[in-house]
Amino acid sequence: MHTETRGQVLADTVAGLQRRYGSAAVRRGDEPDGGERTVWSTGIPALDRLAPGGLPRARVTLLQAAQAGASGRLTLLQALAARASQEGDVVYVDVAASLDPGFLADLGANLDSCLAVLPGRGRWREGLAMARALVVAGSPWVGVALGGERCRDAEIEQALNGLVEAVHRRRAVCVVAAPAPATAPLAYASSLTLSCLPAGWQESHGDITGLRVALTVSKSRLHPPGATDTLLLCYPRPYAAAAVLGYPTVMAPARSGSSDGGGAGRGLTMVDLSA
Amino acid sequence: MIVGGAPELRLPVLAASAAATATGVYPGQSLRQAQQLCPQAAFVSVDPHDVERLRAEVATALGGLSPAVEVGDEESFCDLSGSHVLHRDEGRWAAAIARVLMETLDGGLPAVGVAATRFVARLAAGASEARHVRRVPAGGEAAFLAPLPLGMLPVDPAIGARLAALGLDCLGAVANLSPVELQRQFGAEGLVLYRHCRGEDGGGLFVDTGPRRAVERVILEGSVADLEVLRFAAHRCATDLGDQLRSRGMVAVTVALVLELEEAPTLSVAAPPPLPAGNAAELWVAVLALLGEMRPCAPVSAIRLEVELRTAAGRQADLWRGGDAQREAVLAAAARLQRRYGETTLRRPKLAVDPGDIPERRFRWEAPMGAPKSGTKAAGRAGERAGKAHPGDGLTARSSTQPAQKGKVPWSRSPTAKQPGRGHPRPTPAVQETLSVCTGRVHV
Repeated sequence: MHTETRGQVLADTVAGLQRRYGSAAVRRGDEPDGGERTVWSTGIPALDRLAPGGLPRARVTLLQAAQAGASGRLTLLQALAARASQEGDVVYVDVAASLDPGFLADLGANLDSCLAVLPGRGRWREGLAMARALVVAGSPWVGVALGGERCRDAEIEQALNGLVEAVHRRRAVCVVAAPAPATAPLAYASSLTLSCLPAGWQESHGDITGLRVALTVSKSRLHPPGATDTLLLCYPRPYAAAAVLGYPTVMAPARSGSSDGGGAGRGLTMVDLSA
Repeated sequence: MIVGGAPELRLPVLAASAAATATGVYPGQSLRQAQQLCPQAAFVSVDPHDVERLRAEVATALGGLSPAVEVGDEESFCDLSGSHVLHRDEGRWAAAIARVLMETLDGGLPAVGVAATRFVARLAAGASEARHVRRVPAGGEAAFLAPLPLGMLPVDPAIGARLAALGLDCLGAVANLSPVELQRQFGAEGLVLYRHCRGEDGGGLFVDTGPRRAVERVILEGSVADLEVLRFAAHRCATDLGDQLRSRGMVAVTVALVLELEEAPTLSVAAPPPLPAGNAAELWVAVLALLGEMRPCAPVSAIRLEVELRTAAGRQADLWRGGDAQREAVLAAAARLQRRYGETTLRRPKLAVDPGDIPERRFRWEAPMGAPKSGTKAAGRAGERAGKAHPGDGLTARSSTQPAQKGKVPWSRSPTAKQPGRGHPRPTPAVQETLSVCTGRVHV
């Protein structure tokens, strides 16, 4: 009887902690996960460190611009879509009307696996509804690029709820890139919010070759928020492919005399750790 | 007898009797040429509605015996692989199919061929006599094909002429050649040729999973202008049709709601549901959305619900391979979304072969549905068919035949209207169904 009481108290406590901090906050060691991975590894070490293991499956990840203007969220979203297309089918919902398949190809995407949904600029509701339909049909990875056109919260709330439910049921990876400021339904629906703050242009011989983006985990239902890291989004150039690199981890003092870039990158040599 | 119409018309021959065929008439030939070859023939025109009805009956009859049926103008193919509880072997099974077909065609004399591949089965049926089954045992395909003339090969006539010029006069002579030699002479066609001559074509059935329609119509006693009564009648239609869908394992890919108005043009709205409706609850959601869009300007005398059906699953998924059916399901969903939101809303990017210097020319957009692979050809056909106009009463997707009139109150709650379920006028459902499909000779 005493043991049963202790077990009941423990179960209640665990349930309370999970209710408060998320289902993944407290977990039994032998708890089966259904044979499926709960995260999708992005292949970008810095990003996999920010969200331990990778982006969560069955949940919505939000790439949120921290301020108006260029934030790198769409480039990062396309880089993630390119990475996912190497593993399986990808749906890219382009509400921002900014998709450049050539850039996707530069990022190493398998275009045969990419399905572009082009609902039209600013048509958030249609885009989210189409994303939901494709996720329900079995698409394992969906990226939604939202543009600067604002939409009333009530208009997108229903479509967003449908998408969240479908993503959860099909255990898909869903990444949404949204401009600043965040809409309330989107902020609520997100399980992992990565705030994208531009940290300056990466230059080389006077040319802009990339964008440094400071990523901050501003909300997480899976892990403690607050982690920060910086990414370098390398734009494609002649004889150089586009890439997303962890900025602080890939810069090392130049020893051979060859320097790459000016500004903050002057005197540093780039090493691609993701290779 | 030659079927196709009067010889003055610029139409092809659809079918010909054995006597006419003996004079050189064949389907696809122009009627004028057929008249020159067989001037004493009687030319008969066809009624498309009767043809559709006959095809529907034949398809239903064959579908009751074989799980997969492909029907054509003069031939049909049935899949007899596996086992059948009523027929112990393929011969008995084929005989049962022939019997059913004879009953359906009301005096037609089908010839049946049984073989392991599509090409051999077709030739076996051609070599068989009417009311007989010609069976080519497994492994005996090459021996069966060997004496047949080169004209039987489904290849370009130029290739046939080159084969004849090489001194080859039968399929067996071609089969004895090396595949390398044939490939060197004819390229990829050479390998196809080699496989055909050895009875290894491997062509399967292109199962017709094309659209079928089901209609539920409720006639309202007296004319009704009460929203609740209409909603009840629509709900009854949706419930009945939804139960049919569930029992037959089919889904509705297009839903059309038609209101027959009193002394006013028929009002109709059609739209594909966001997700295929497979039961009454899912169908009711789609019907309710359509009902909310309609603004009738006159009392309604009847309500009609029309759905375009498809089988829920196109094929058996490979259970050992994760996500096997996923790509097909996603493409089907993409096709549905295209029909709902427009053709240009879903595209697959493709890198251009010769991009040039302009960034916009580095890629091109293609339709998400690629070339149909084996086993999915029917889906491609279905997709083409889905793009055609709806055969209903002037129904078009997302269009109303009568726009809403501003300033009019379309609905009125009649205080004398009977409550649904309590003495409500008993609806008279009339279910009509049309199936796509066949006539003629059966190749098994």
